[in-house]
Amino acid sequence: MRSRGFGSFAAAVLVAGAILWSFATTDIEMARLVSAGPRIADFLGRMFPPDPTIMDEILKGSAETLRIAVLGTLGAVLLSVPLGLLASETMAAPALFRPIRTLLAIIRAVPLILVAMLMVGAVGLGPLPGIIAIAFHATGMLAKFYAEAIDGVSRAPLAALESAGAGPLARLRYAIWPQMAPVVARDTIFRFELNLRESLILGIVGAGGIGFYIQTYVRSFQYDKAASVTLAVVAMVIAIEGVNVWLRRRFS
Amino acid sequence: MTIATQIDDVSFAHSGGDTRALKRVSLSVQAGEIVALLGPSGAGKTTFLTLLDGRLRDWRGRVSVLGAPLDPDRPPPRARRPDTGYVFQEFALVERSTVLRNVLNGRLGRMSPLRAVLGSSTAHDRRVARDALADCGIADLAHRRVDSLSGGQRQRVAIARCLAQEPQLILADEPVSSLDPTRAAEILALLTEAARARGATVLFSSHQPDLARRFAQRIVGLRAGRIAFDVPTSELSEAATADLYRDAAQMPEIGLRAVT
Repeated sequence: MRSRGFGSFAAAVLVAGAILWSFATTDIEMARLVSAGPRIADFLGRMFPPDPTIMDEILKGSAETLRIAVLGTLGAVLLSVPLGLLASETMAAPALFRPIRTLLAIIRAVPLILVAMLMVGAVGLGPLPGIIAIAFHATGMLAKFYAEAIDGVSRAPLAALESAGAGPLARLRYAIWPQMAPVVARDTIFRFELNLRESLILGIVGAGGIGFYIQTYVRSFQYDKAASVTLAVVAMVIAIEGVNVWLRRRFS
Repeated sequence: MTIATQIDDVSFAHSGGDTRALKRVSLSVQAGEIVALLGPSGAGKTTFLTLLDGRLRDWRGRVSVLGAPLDPDRPPPRARRPDTGYVFQEFALVERSTVLRNVLNGRLGRMSPLRAVLGSSTAHDRRVARDALADCGIADLAHRRVDSLSGGQRQRVAIARCLAQEPQLILADEPVSSLDPTRAAEILALLTEAARARGATVLFSSHQPDLARRFAQRIVGLRAGRIAFDVPTSELSEAATADLYRDAAQMPEIGLRAVT
């Protein structure tokens, strides 16, 4: 009881300390924030009304972003199936699943934007580096989810099939897969939604998609066109969320 | 008469403690016999059946099942596993699969590994599965998903899956403990009849003396990991049964579980 009280006190001191330290050492000039008011109003004013004449660019950019998300997710699924199997306690030996899990944690820790920039350097501008970056980055999470889905199945049917003489692959197909399929479907749809959101900004580093137009219009001070692209992005994210909710309901 | 299983001086210690252990157990079961393992919870019934199914490790003694010795360090070779069928207490079915699929799962050990993975069952596999479903009275449920079934129906599916293995020895762990008395008698009747029709040996565990008496030819009493008695059903005395549950009755918690 005493040590728990001390623990929460220490945590509170730590949080308060972190906030104070951040305020004290960051160069925040409140005056600049106040004087920025009119400029922000000016930006917003110039964004309105959004320019509807760039519909072609928006459709082209959105389609490319969607393609990057679809193909990136497909790549991640193809990589995650074998890696997920190898990262599961049920299907792999400890000597195998431990290093694979460490590898996946490292992949998750590498920021997507860094992978995208490296890929642009390696394979050139366009959607291809975006697809590769998404596939690589998403695998870190998706393979971990797949492994957890495998390890989360009920053990009893597995024991029953083993007792009946079924081999490991037959057990995977008839005892593990039917139990994990809805979890895999949900995880994959969830990851697709994340991939779409993340691929929206890939264009900023030249890795294809609608982000390219946001960067172009903002840098060339065409705020009304940037506003149109932003609206398109917002609409796309909301639409995908809606589809996602509907799909998840079907797979439960 | 041939011997279905021979157990000599087998001991097993559970890491968790004294219950569920086995202490110098010896038993011989003839082919075609129907034997009930009677005893309170924690007496070692499940451990004993798991041993015969080849799923227990680190035991001492000698065991042979259907003519082949068991190895305490590794499971029996895959080719031999379908010969021993196991009916699990909690059914152990794949809930999201159909009844037929679950019963065909019992055939996986009889198929070549490639056929098993591809799921290409032969006409013979399907006939055996259909016969098992019919014998368990659930032919009309073949295409229902298991998660839509009642407890009694599930236990019938679990028995049908076991029969689909075409086992020579059937081990049933408390196959009716979760069912009401009428259902329990129905299920044990169909299990023992199907086994007789196939010439299979049956060992089923139960904590209900009346059910053991009704369906077994021979009753083996297990108490605290030791065989307390081993008698033909006609010779089972009330005193021997009462003695089996003596300790359990003194411990209210376990005693309660033994009655339910």
